Amino acid sequence: MTGRRRLGLVAAAATLLAAAPLSSIFKDWTWLMQCLLTVLLIQGAAVATRTFRFPTWAQTASMVAAFVLSLTWLFPSGGEFFIPQPDTFGHWMDLIHQAGEDTRSYGVPVPDRDGLLFVTVLGVGVVAIAVDLLTAVFRRPALAGLPMLAIYSIPVAIYLDSVPPVPFMIGAVGYLWLLVADNVDRVRRFGRRFTGDGRDVDVWEPSPLAAAGRRIGLVGVLAAVLLPLAVPTVSGGLLSRITQSGPGIGNGPGTGNGGRINLFASLSGQLNHSQTVKLLQVTTDEPEPFYLRFGVAEVLTENGFAHDTPKGDSLSKGLPDPRQVAATSAARYAQYHAQVQVTDRLQQNMAPLYSYPVGVGDLNGNWAYDPSQQVLFSGRATTKEQKYDVTYLRPTFNAAALRQSDSLDPGDPLMAFTARPPDATVEQKVAALIAGKDNDYDKVRAIYDFFSQENGFKYSLSVPSTGKASEIAEFLNNKAGYCQQYAAAMAWMVRAADIPARVVFGFTRGKPIGNGTYEITNRNAHAWTEVYFQGFGWVPFDATPSASVTGSARSAWAPDVDRPAPAASTSTGPGATGVDSSAGPGAAERPNRAEIEGNQTGAAGPIADETSWTGLWIAGGVALIIALLLVPALRRILVRRRRHAATVPAPAPAVLSAEGGEGITDITVTSETGRARADAHAAWDELIDSMIDYQVPVDPTETPRITAQRLIRESSLTGDPAEAATLLGTAEERARYARLPLQGAELAVALSRVRSGMAEAAPTGTRLRATLLPPSVLLSWRLGVAEWSTRAAERMSSLGESLSRFNPRRLLNRAR
Amino acid sequence: MTTPTWGEPSGPLTSAEFRAATQAIMANIEQVIEGKSATVRLALAVLIAEGHLLIEDVPGVGKTKLAKALARSIDCSVRRIQFTPDLLPSDVTGVSVYNQETRDFEFKPGAVFANLVVGDEINRASPKTQSALLECMEERQVTVDGTTYELQAPFMVVATQNPIEMEGTYPLPEAQRDRFTARIAMGYPDPRAELAMLSGHGDHDPLNDLRAVADAALVRRLIETARAVHAADAVQQYAIALVTATREAPEIRLGASPRSTLQLLRTAKAVAALEGRDYVLPDDLQALAVPVLAHRIIPTADAQLNRRTTDAIVSEIVHRLPLPHARNPYDTRDGRASYESRGR
Repeated sequence: MTGRRRLGLVAAAATLLAAAPLSSIFKDWTWLMQCLLTVLLIQGAAVATRTFRFPTWAQTASMVAAFVLSLTWLFPSGGEFFIPQPDTFGHWMDLIHQAGEDTRSYGVPVPDRDGLLFVTVLGVGVVAIAVDLLTAVFRRPALAGLPMLAIYSIPVAIYLDSVPPVPFMIGAVGYLWLLVADNVDRVRRFGRRFTGDGRDVDVWEPSPLAAAGRRIGLVGVLAAVLLPLAVPTVSGGLLSRITQSGPGIGNGPGTGNGGRINLFASLSGQLNHSQTVKLLQVTTDEPEPFYLRFGVAEVLTENGFAHDTPKGDSLSKGLPDPRQVAATSAARYAQYHAQVQVTDRLQQNMAPLYSYPVGVGDLNGNWAYDPSQQVLFSGRATTKEQKYDVTYLRPTFNAAALRQSDSLDPGDPLMAFTARPPDATVEQKVAALIAGKDNDYDKVRAIYDFFSQENGFKYSLSVPSTGKASEIAEFLNNKAGYCQQYAAAMAWMVRAADIPARVVFGFTRGKPIGNGTYEITNRNAHAWTEVYFQGFGWVPFDATPSASVTGSARSAWAPDVDRPAPAASTSTGPGATGVDSSAGPGAAERPNRAEIEGNQTGAAGPIADETSWTGLWIAGGVALIIALLLVPALRRILVRRRRHAATVPAPAPAVLSAEGGEGITDITVTSETGRARADAHAAWDELIDSMIDYQVPVDPTETPRITAQRLIRESSLTGDPAEAATLLGTAEERARYARLPLQGAELAVALSRVRSGMAEAAPTGTRLRATLLPPSVLLSWRLGVAEWSTRAAERMSSLGESLSRFNPRRLLNRAR
Repeated sequence: MTTPTWGEPSGPLTSAEFRAATQAIMANIEQVIEGKSATVRLALAVLIAEGHLLIEDVPGVGKTKLAKALARSIDCSVRRIQFTPDLLPSDVTGVSVYNQETRDFEFKPGAVFANLVVGDEINRASPKTQSALLECMEERQVTVDGTTYELQAPFMVVATQNPIEMEGTYPLPEAQRDRFTARIAMGYPDPRAELAMLSGHGDHDPLNDLRAVADAALVRRLIETARAVHAADAVQQYAIALVTATREAPEIRLGASPRSTLQLLRTAKAVAALEGRDYVLPDDLQALAVPVLAHRIIPTADAQLNRRTTDAIVSEIVHRLPLPHARNPYDTRDGRASYESRGR
């Protein structure tokens, strides 16, 4: 039993080593201390119960008990003495909730938060128990790698870019240690090793028999490392494309979060950051660029607006042109070009873009575009230190045109963007605001204008927010908040007016540094509202007071509510440069667009089907697999056709000339018999292949006659097929051994008779297999490969031999 | 081998003539030996293959009867030697006796000077006497006192013996065994044949009723016909492979000799001819491997300890050895495929 105890200790150590990757998540090392304590307690319990030879269930129970006790001591609710109370478990549930919230609000590396620490210790403890059971009780240490891998998958999921390799190596070493310890224990149970020369053998001394194992291990490791390098599409190919439709994006399971990015949390984090950090720099040839956008929150529930996972096709498929789509063709578009240069401080998997991009270039990694959200996203790549080009279309709208836009009819799928939780306050307020307005634009403007300083709204960053619906409603009462409250509240209110709306995240224009270049910092992080107008698409409205937002911009259809109306059409230059009020109430305007008539109609093209490509890929893949599966059958058919063609008796060759006499006749006979021989051989080959196909054993020591007899017996052929089989056997036998082969026999007919006879006798499965996946073809391929590899191995060994002639060791031996 | 110098009209028989002649002989023998047509056919094949036959079985199964029936069916000189422990070599080969009248030594031919020599219970004679047959069986001549006497053609020794485990027997030396083309066992008759035997042998010995249906000249022509049977390259290679396999088999101490290769193929030709074919099949070789090869080989001590009979070893070799130039190099006998032969 000492072996089990020792293995258990190794399992505990390996678990701790496997937890090493967690070091990249936490700022401090408190987690390690707590995990160490927990794992030691668990293992202590296991060792103690094993010493007294308790049954397995008792060992498990003791480990769980030790685990719960250690959790109680480490995370007490305050009321318990030594053992957990009901309150303790409630406290733990709170901690788990807290951890869920922490994962939303903290980025890695995280500080020591009780919730996160609790979840970490909980996870490591569970893994420790699982590894111990698998290793010491079930003696399957290889399976223990799975829970250990689960720990490693956490940093992998959180760090989208790359994970530090050293912690992984530490974890891998722990796993290998576990495997080796188990194996040594297994070998030891056979007794001492015996060398024959009386020498004492150390346990750790490698056995000469293990050389093959070491070689296999080395090859395995090399293959595991090199293969992903050789196949670049492992993370960017079909697989990831398919999984992108699912929750491929996000920060992974983390410690229990639902897997979505909380854009609100990251926005408030950016704005509340104590220092100003440059995030990106954009150069554009558009004179007055609007905001850069990267994310959309379009799901409104009790918990407020939430981000929905973008879906779409790979960037390489090209981007939709809004001018060609009926839903957005009514706007007037101008094409511009911009270059975005991201610093190392902005690391996210959604790339900042201007609206309606038609071309994105030089972006590293595998990115996909959601045409509905207009979001460029990636499963694993991030924007960190990326530099990319964007060609985009800037739509311009004007109030008059927007007023012409019809309301969506209630059955339109876009009406999903009007879903909202019931809230009497909001509904009443909206009803009051839009009373008497007869078109969507006026309704939206009424709501938009409501967020003015005159109505008592004021900008304040000090309002804590998690984006909950109740907080948005509260904002309408206390009228203090920052961009996300403004944006969310406006979107909700517009939805309450049954007009589709959503919250958009991005950056304001930024600080111009000349030549059309803007520098964007974390202070430019912003959220605003987009409202859907039929024929125009999503039209941006920024309800946040422009004075309070760095680099804010206003447009003709959504002028600054805090400015007198006439000023709405005058330009005051680019945006302000700071949070100071020097920019005045009037921030940047977009006069150029104001007067442009937007009623240009583009060709109403068909609406692009977003999922058609994925479907096509899947269909293509399935078709390809089917085609590949059918290759053996096809090959079989071709071979059979060739042989049948060979077996059909040809018309007797005409005698060339009369003068040849004896000689010519001889030649004629020879060629005829040769042909008859070849026919018989072809028929026989086909028969043998058919036997393999129908799972009748083939025996190379049998003569054709015996084979035919056995075939008749085993496939219980009677009548015509049996006669045909005998005929084929006789033909082959005579072709091989007689002076004159059998001539003029209907071998092709006989063949089909035998085949049909065999098919009748065979069970359905065999028959299907013979048709679809003929074993004869597979067998010949397999044997071909085997023979080829044998020949290659022979060549290699002969090469090795000739090389060993130049081995310096030989010279040394000779010198000795 | 001596080339027969036959005076009388000869030449190969046609297929029909051959069949008629051999059917007659076999039918004749089967009047005496019921239900053993395969054994009879093999005995006849050995005769046509110019070989010698060793019939080995327990007493009382009709060994001598078969030998005698074969001898009676052919109208040629037949001599019978009863091998006893006190039999001397000169009794077999002949002896030079001083003739008082001519005052010279005169050769008195022994029992082997006949077309058909029936040696009964050959392993009851001492090895010394057994060895007397060595020269005549292989070289078809007898040398006594420096003078060589040619034997007649056809010449065939049909010997019977009890299995060597029986009491009072001397095992045949290897060289002697090697000279016998085939060793056959009679085996017990099945009940039906035994009943026929009881009724047939009840009042008289049917052997006495046998009349010759062939003569030496006919046998010579049969032999000539059988020689002309075609043996394809593949068949010859297969014969060689079979014999070679006995030499290489780990259970065998002494494999079959090159002479056995020759005799195997020759017997196969005779069997093919008996079946009305003008070409040899590997099937013939497979069927003949045990009778022709098994008595020549000596198993290793291990194999003997394991009670492995030479028959079993040879038939295992037959079942293991792939045909040369087999057009189906696959072996799916036990569910897994393997290459038995690379020569496709």
